[in-house]
Amino acid sequence: MNFLQALIDATSAGAVYALAALGIGLVFGVLRLANFAYGEIITASAYTLVIVWPMNPVLAVLGAALVGVAVALAMNYAVFTWLRSQSSATLLIASFGLSILLQRIYEGVFGANVLSASVAGGLSTSIDLGAVRLNLLSVVTIVLAVLLLVGVQLFLTRTSIGLQVQAASADFRIARLLGVRSGLVIAVTFAISGFIAAAVAFVLTVQSGTVGPSFGVQPTLFGLIGAVIGGLRNLRGAVVGGFVVGVALSLLTSWLPPEINPFRTAFVYLLVIAVLVLRPNGLFSAGAGKVRT
Amino acid sequence: MRRDRKNPGLVPVPEWIGDVWTLVAPLGLLYLVTAIASGVSSSARVDLGYMLVNLVIVVGLSIFVSNSGVLSFGHLAFVAVGAWTMSLLTIPVEMKDSIMPGLLPVLRDASLPPLVAVVVAAVVGGILGLIAGAALMRLHGLEAGIATFALLMLVVQVLTYSTALGPKSGQSMVGIPQTLDLQAVLVIALLMVVAAWAYGRSRSARFLRASRDDITAAPASGIDVTKHRIIAFTVSGAVAAVGGALWAQTNRVVQASQFNLDFTFTTIAMLVIGGMFSLWGAVVGVIVVSVLNHVLGLLESGMQFGGVIVSLPSGSRLIIVGLVLIVVLILRPGGLTGGREARWPLRPRLTLDLSPKSVIRK
Repeated sequence: MNFLQALIDATSAGAVYALAALGIGLVFGVLRLANFAYGEIITASAYTLVIVWPMNPVLAVLGAALVGVAVALAMNYAVFTWLRSQSSATLLIASFGLSILLQRIYEGVFGANVLSASVAGGLSTSIDLGAVRLNLLSVVTIVLAVLLLVGVQLFLTRTSIGLQVQAASADFRIARLLGVRSGLVIAVTFAISGFIAAAVAFVLTVQSGTVGPSFGVQPTLFGLIGAVIGGLRNLRGAVVGGFVVGVALSLLTSWLPPEINPFRTAFVYLLVIAVLVLRPNGLFSAGAGKVRT
Repeated sequence: MRRDRKNPGLVPVPEWIGDVWTLVAPLGLLYLVTAIASGVSSSARVDLGYMLVNLVIVVGLSIFVSNSGVLSFGHLAFVAVGAWTMSLLTIPVEMKDSIMPGLLPVLRDASLPPLVAVVVAAVVGGILGLIAGAALMRLHGLEAGIATFALLMLVVQVLTYSTALGPKSGQSMVGIPQTLDLQAVLVIALLMVVAAWAYGRSRSARFLRASRDDITAAPASGIDVTKHRIIAFTVSGAVAAVGGALWAQTNRVVQASQFNLDFTFTTIAMLVIGGMFSLWGAVVGVIVVSVLNHVLGLLESGMQFGGVIVSLPSGSRLIIVGLVLIVVLILRPGGLTGGREARWPLRPRLTLDLSPKSVIRK
């Protein structure tokens, strides 16, 4: 049953980009920052995993989560705090610069070549379920994504600070006037997005087993693009957008005939342009609200 | 006629001097830097060549960004197309046969003198700008940025994998003759600055700047913002493609993967560091970043300061340019020029303030 297997692979690919889109979308909500340097948080966690895993797997997972959170917070305090009053275009440019800068730093520290280690090698086995060969990693990815999505949802709706994050996303200035502690809210959002980045790093390092300086660029690009076509102003839309991009990429890879298969990424970008032209506010936007000329 | 407020007795310099100065200043500065740098060293001359090429690319980018206020991450698409056009039109036919066996017959037999090829590159870039602009120019802000980026990725993917248009994926085009010397490149760069200035003074650019400063009021005053953005995108695409053509014959090795994020970042950093809302900002930014790059390059290869050899690890160039970019954005979001055009330096001063009240709106 080839179809079902492709579907599971696609769902797991979609889950990774949905997580990336969630991490980016959360920060965008409160700060109007589309963080291009999100990939470098992923890369930092991935380096931790690959370097520490051979010594101690538990420590590696904890360390990766910690590094993800720490790098995200460091970005906030070193750069974005100072730019809070700027437009989202300026923030995007700054994060772009930060991304390139960190990639070069990783290159200087860890070398331009990839580091490799088998991270959680047990997960790359497949289980035979009669007709379907189930890749364990795909299942773990989907479960991890669902857990994180539910976790973030509970955090946003059931905790006081989560509600403050929601208020800040709706209208930052009014929320501040009503007593939302903006600095804390932004820091918490960055920390959560860093934690999610660590989860993305885990899945991707298990998949590839190698990390290079630009490891996080691809998932961030597709996560960001997914978030934009889904509608950055609406977190659920962003997550679904990321998911759709992942699924499309995976399905195009398995179904395009070999002679045009190299163009699969081109098709995805064409799709992105088409969606943006037809639905400039995002696939799942509520509709009105944005100026169009 | 305006009066100088601080010195009411003085008659201000006629306004047209201030106007002409916004063109003369960038041209003069560019000429001066070229004249100085070409006398310094042979390595400075090499970097100078790249500076002039980057200047054309960034001026192209600024034609769209500084007038419309919409950010583009995708202008390297035009640079790539320009470089491709130049390569396909100037590489000798026998050579094309060996490195690009799958090339379309039309492209295989096409061969033009380099200057004509530059003009063709501009036309191809303009056509791409027109088509892409017609599709994308309704978008604003972040969506526009992502859409232009998608355009770049689309173009790069097609150029990478299409054997009908170029070499097999991962291989590069070589054998581009370097026929235009530094002098010719300088003249073209100066011409592109004049073109950008002329467009900036046109009715269309004034409409666009109105929409940049207030996206609600401009359409309400009857300005067709989308139309004028498409015009600016087309002009800017044509100029960026000229930059690509010059880049091809300066670099002499052309591969789709060169039009990557690092290159995109370099051009955007140049524009933003100088000030993304004026032509003067584009020119100043390119010169500042290029000089910085050159000095850092010298430091990377080791330099002696009174007996001490200072050498930076390779790759620190982009780190420092990135840092400069972030610091400029924090301290001076309008860039080094503050988004103004060049100002007449003598007193009494004329203010020809084209800067927006604030940076781009959301």
